Amino acid sequence: MATEIYEKEFNGNGIGSYTPAILSIVGALLMLVGRIQLGDRFMTDGSLMMIALACYILAALFQLTNLYAPSEMAQKIGLWGAALGVFFNLSSWLVRWVAGYDREIAMLRAGGSEETPWIFRYIPLANLYDYSIAFAFGAGIATLLLARKKSVQVLSAFTLPLAALILTLARFIGNEFIDLPPVLDSYWRPIHVGVASLSYGVALVCFAIAVIYLLKDRVKVESMAIWSSVFGIAVIATISKFSVLTEFVYRSGLFLPNTPGAKPISSPFRLEIPYVGPVLVVSAVLLIGVIVFFSWYLSRGDEIAKKIGHGILKLSLIAQIIAVAMLVSGIRSANDVKTQLQDQLTSEPGQYLVAGKALAEKQNLSAKEFSAITPIQFEQMGRAYFQANGDKLYLSTRTNPVELTGLITALAGTFFVILFAFRTERLIERLPTLNALDDLMYKTACLAFAGLAMLLITGAIWANESWGRPWGFDSKETGALVAWLTYAAFLHTRISRGWTGRSSAYFAILGFLLVIFTYLGVSYLLPGLHSYA
Amino acid sequence: MVASEQTIEGTRRETKGSLGFVDRFMRFISSVRFGVSLLCILVVLSMIGMLIIQQNVNGFDTYFASLTPAERTVYSALGLFDIYHTWYFNSILLILSLNLVLASIDRFPSAWSYIVKPKTSATDSWLKGLRQTREYSIKADSLDTAAKLADKAFRASKLSSTTTEIDHREYPVNADGSKDFSRQRNRKTVTVFGERGRWNRIGAYIVHVCLLTLFLGHFVANITGFDADVQMIPGDSSDKIQMIQIDLDERQKYDVQLPFNVACVDIQQKLIDPRGNIGVANTLDWRTRLQIDDPEYGQTIADVSMNNPFSYRGFRFFQAEASRMGSARSIDLDVRSETTGETQKVTIPRLGNATLPDGTFVEYDEFLPDFTFNAEGRPDTRSGEYNNPAAVLSVTPPGGERTRVFAFESGKADNIPVGAPKAGYLWRISGFEKVPFAHVLSIKYDPYSGAFIAWYFGGFGLIFALCFVFFTSHQRVWANIEPKGEGEYRILLGGDANRNHDGLEQRFNKIVQRIEDNS
Repeated sequence: MATEIYEKEFNGNGIGSYTPAILSIVGALLMLVGRIQLGDRFMTDGSLMMIALACYILAALFQLTNLYAPSEMAQKIGLWGAALGVFFNLSSWLVRWVAGYDREIAMLRAGGSEETPWIFRYIPLANLYDYSIAFAFGAGIATLLLARKKSVQVLSAFTLPLAALILTLARFIGNEFIDLPPVLDSYWRPIHVGVASLSYGVALVCFAIAVIYLLKDRVKVESMAIWSSVFGIAVIATISKFSVLTEFVYRSGLFLPNTPGAKPISSPFRLEIPYVGPVLVVSAVLLIGVIVFFSWYLSRGDEIAKKIGHGILKLSLIAQIIAVAMLVSGIRSANDVKTQLQDQLTSEPGQYLVAGKALAEKQNLSAKEFSAITPIQFEQMGRAYFQANGDKLYLSTRTNPVELTGLITALAGTFFVILFAFRTERLIERLPTLNALDDLMYKTACLAFAGLAMLLITGAIWANESWGRPWGFDSKETGALVAWLTYAAFLHTRISRGWTGRSSAYFAILGFLLVIFTYLGVSYLLPGLHSYA
Repeated sequence: MVASEQTIEGTRRETKGSLGFVDRFMRFISSVRFGVSLLCILVVLSMIGMLIIQQNVNGFDTYFASLTPAERTVYSALGLFDIYHTWYFNSILLILSLNLVLASIDRFPSAWSYIVKPKTSATDSWLKGLRQTREYSIKADSLDTAAKLADKAFRASKLSSTTTEIDHREYPVNADGSKDFSRQRNRKTVTVFGERGRWNRIGAYIVHVCLLTLFLGHFVANITGFDADVQMIPGDSSDKIQMIQIDLDERQKYDVQLPFNVACVDIQQKLIDPRGNIGVANTLDWRTRLQIDDPEYGQTIADVSMNNPFSYRGFRFFQAEASRMGSARSIDLDVRSETTGETQKVTIPRLGNATLPDGTFVEYDEFLPDFTFNAEGRPDTRSGEYNNPAAVLSVTPPGGERTRVFAFESGKADNIPVGAPKAGYLWRISGFEKVPFAHVLSIKYDPYSGAFIAWYFGGFGLIFALCFVFFTSHQRVWANIEPKGEGEYRILLGGDANRNHDGLEQRFNKIVQRIEDNS
């Protein structure tokens, strides 16, 4: 009987299938009321976010278990775990809204001001942390809505780990509030950034469907392993300012304390974390081995190469786990940073010059002024900074959120490939049909495309109201445009060339990678007006 | 397949060999494939523009300085420092627009035929080739009743329905399977056709029109308008604004004549913590009060605050930035009489004045946030921070001479001559409202409201059109009904949709069920 009710309620028909999503949202609104009533005594947004992260991971584990050992119980726990994750995720975001309001009102009152700005000034869509929470919520709610159909509930086994990765990134970014620049105090911000979060969440789901499609379409796991290894090598090669593969060392960023409640200041110096560099190099070598052996297998059909490749893949997973664990424990257990940094600088004085240049770049100098600074002066600037601030510098997992998340994503990629290689046939059987997946991929791509269009248009109108120019080819604007154009090409190739199925899946993956580049790469790597986001 | 079924491929089916060069060229530039190629090129060029810092972006100077001379030469020659304004980038946008227009013209007639000439009948073989198809028998009194059953089921499923009777003349088939051409037989069948969302077929063209509106509006705004800045210091007025032209690391300024005069009446900065500095992080809003004197339209007073621009005769005034030099919008003075020892409180706005009870006239001339004496021994400010604020006043006692007076914060200038009592009073600042020395307004001239039309009509139109395209679909269902035996009719159902095949499947199954249940 219970099964019948379950089938009836959660098989894509009727309002009952929306129950997990509705309960999550209603519950989160109740949490909001609780926060307003109880004030500071209520749970913090940070702790709620951590619970959401745990729920997503737990739900993903149950859904994965359900894939390999189908069980009604695992599926139910997976579904309701995801609903709980969305509930805590949204609660965290709403509680942060009130906390942001309380914080600034306290500052205003302390300064003697009776001003009470409008509530939408505090909507938590102001920095990358806020944005990540909203992005994860977008992915979570899209997953719940998708999971209305029991036949496609397995997709959550792939989308929830991605949502968990985004929350992990948020954890590393840190949840300090920013002092909102006045230009962001506009009703367009919740519209523009809210649309961005939801459409990025839908793009994430589209990406997961595309990966599953490839798996169902019997793209060899070894091919996937090659691509995930390329990604892993790219991450290892680029982190720590390219020092891992060139100098065999990993140097972590350092923080300088800021005023209480404000985000710490990034230092121009980086400190070597012992053993992490060599272990990462080993990981990279193993990943190269994976590429070589699997390429050999795919081109020649050599079964021995396949076997060796899988062995190396597992070793590379172990190496990556060790590297991440050593990195985190190295950062956490570090003490006397100044002495360690002093020793490092004594053996490599060139780092003063690099740090000096980084300091000069932040001073908005003209080209002539910058060119006029000699290498000795750069070095002196670096030394002066170290003299003045060396005592205060400290290590934190939050100094390099993108690097750490990149490493964890590479690790997760390797893990999933190994998982796909385990009882592949059984896994493929449990996945929805190719037609259903293609249809879903198309629908989610259409949604993402429409959402990205809304993102671009609302952003342009807001820019026109704030800066007097709707479009300025700012890095973030261009990044979003590039992602949109890619989805446009994706949809048009379906029409003109009949590129459905596998070709569409590749396009969907490319589109999502560009979305991620816009979301993270532009914010951390490129200058522009959106550097706060 | 009828012409209306060929939306994408177009109606022309000529072979390549039979086409002239011009036709082939036109077919090429109006093809979706060419459009997709242009999109890909745009993606690549945009990525280049993201990775190479553009000359209008903050930090370009430092980046430019860090490049080698060879890199600078090559990048400059290729226009990579301002790639979005290069001839080739604009050409691609233009060709893409042309592609959109031609592709739309080429394909619109076939899409339009779905609306004006719906396919109300279909052959059995065509219906059997569709994704959704079902054949079964129903019981009914007559062919007409059977058709009504189908019609009712279609309408119950929210399809608009049309019934077409078709008379077939055919040759009977002999026992050996051959046709008997000596005789003819009449056979009557009915096709019930139902559809919904047919306007969805032209959704893609509405998207194209909106995109072209967006491109065109933006183009007109760029060609006919310009961007400029004007510094707003209370009390100042000007009929000129400054246009800045960027050429790599050079910035050249040009004056542009306005058809009216703009005066700054007041500037204000709302701070989160009035005790803090006037930096962006401590700011709620900036507000500039303008007075426009127009020879044609008279006087206008306006407020410009962040995210709240002011439009006047094609010019839009925006808050752009604030000077880092601190000033005071108003000062609160404690004025202690040397004779009576009484202290009076006076508040004077910037550039304003006040009169003391004894008739002493006080004017607030200037504010120095970090008072010092410069190299020439004159009062000056050391920085823009409020480290040692001083108000410069002009004081005119009744019947006396106008005297320059410096008012400091209490206890900060008690032992220096400049802080000593003057004009019979000891002048001290008890408070002041912080504002920057000046605001900078950005001005956008857009005489034809090109940006507004582009983004509000083109942009919002694009959003609505995309939602219309993706969230609705054209679903069609046909039912071919023909007599099978006494009171029995064969019904062949076929369904087709341009998207949302799941939705169609559900609807189709319901129709099948309804007809069966009601027969």
